[in-house]
Amino acid sequence: MERRSAADLVRDAFVRRTAPGRGLAEDAEAVARACHDMARRFHRGGRLLVFGEGSAAADAQHVAVEFVHPVLVGRRALPAVSLAGDAATLTAIAGSQGLDAVFSAQLRLLASPADIALGLSADGRCASVLRGLETAAELGALTVALVGGDGGDIARGGVVEHCLIARSADPCVVKEIHVTTYHLLWELVHVFFDQSGLLEPEAVQ
Amino acid sequence: MTGVETLYPFLYDGGGITGHVLSEVRRSTAEKALEIVALRETLAASHGEPLVACARRMGEAFRAGGRLLAFGNGGSGTDAQSLAALFTSPPAPARPLPALSLPQDTAALTALSNDVGFEVVFARQVAAHGRAGDIAVGLSTSGGSANVLRAFGEAARRGLMTVGFAGYDGGAMAEAETIEHLFVVPSASVHRIQEAQTTLFHVLWELTRHAVEGGL
Repeated sequence: MERRSAADLVRDAFVRRTAPGRGLAEDAEAVARACHDMARRFHRGGRLLVFGEGSAAADAQHVAVEFVHPVLVGRRALPAVSLAGDAATLTAIAGSQGLDAVFSAQLRLLASPADIALGLSADGRCASVLRGLETAAELGALTVALVGGDGGDIARGGVVEHCLIARSADPCVVKEIHVTTYHLLWELVHVFFDQSGLLEPEAVQ
Repeated sequence: MTGVETLYPFLYDGGGITGHVLSEVRRSTAEKALEIVALRETLAASHGEPLVACARRMGEAFRAGGRLLAFGNGGSGTDAQSLAALFTSPPAPARPLPALSLPQDTAALTALSNDVGFEVVFARQVAAHGRAGDIAVGLSTSGGSANVLRAFGEAARRGLMTVGFAGYDGGAMAEAETIEHLFVVPSASVHRIQEAQTTLFHVLWELTRHAVEGGL
């Protein structure tokens, strides 16, 4: 590894995050549209089903708890569940059907057409997340993906209705953009949801 | 006005709601995205040197065979899990380092909560797993989580290195004498605090990686 000063390493690390952070601000339109569609599903009684592998499995649980236990007093609890948190279920499916099936198999049992499937993958190439999103789309659920890099197979596959791509190839930076993105998803879903008149199909076009 | 009215007065501008809502939500989204960009830039200046000092000690601890124990509640609990996973399964070519996430063990959490109380769920796990020379990392947005503070007390007693992440003004964590390296994110938003803490522990990992490999 090339030897650089500690101050340089710190500066480089923080600077690397600036452009992707500004990129999210530029993607505000796409974030707002995703939130509006998500709010419509919640309004119809849908649930949020969240999934990801590795570090994104922790994010999936983080997203679910944001909706179930809101940080702002007075916001209502909305139904959300992580499909990545139960080691017994995950290892059972991985053992019998393979790792790529861990989310799609659960979605086949749990998802309904009113639901929202949210998959996270830092490089957009996570096979289990892609299969989960494909299955959710087949079942009629709204599909939302948070990815990074060039968007990978998930962005190119054409199955995802709202694909938000963090503008970095560094998985740590992508994750940070995703954390901000899902905090915004939660907050803005409530803005729409609290105004149920806005959720009729003709209200906002 | 309700909280929502205060935050989003455009929703209540008397009938003109439909045409403007998406553009106003878009504007609010962009504002918040830029808010965290600006917050990160201030942290680079204020926390850079303390991050390097912490990473050098963590590098020594890992080289001496130490392990990392991470803990927190709710979103900070999943952040503890993310932090541990970053050390054990880093992006290539970084080498894995030993770390455990304490909030993910539901058997330990529910047993300790049921039998003793929620304030001991991390302290008892630190007592079981922690050895002198290990690294205890606790996260709390308020800085006041009782079970996180108890875990730091146990860690300090056992000779672990202690690293904390807090928000606001640091809360009780800033007063605690058991936390050697404390990184406070000076924000009043739980969400911006969590986002900035994620950056801080990512940078801390990156610097620790250099330290372990002798390059810091």
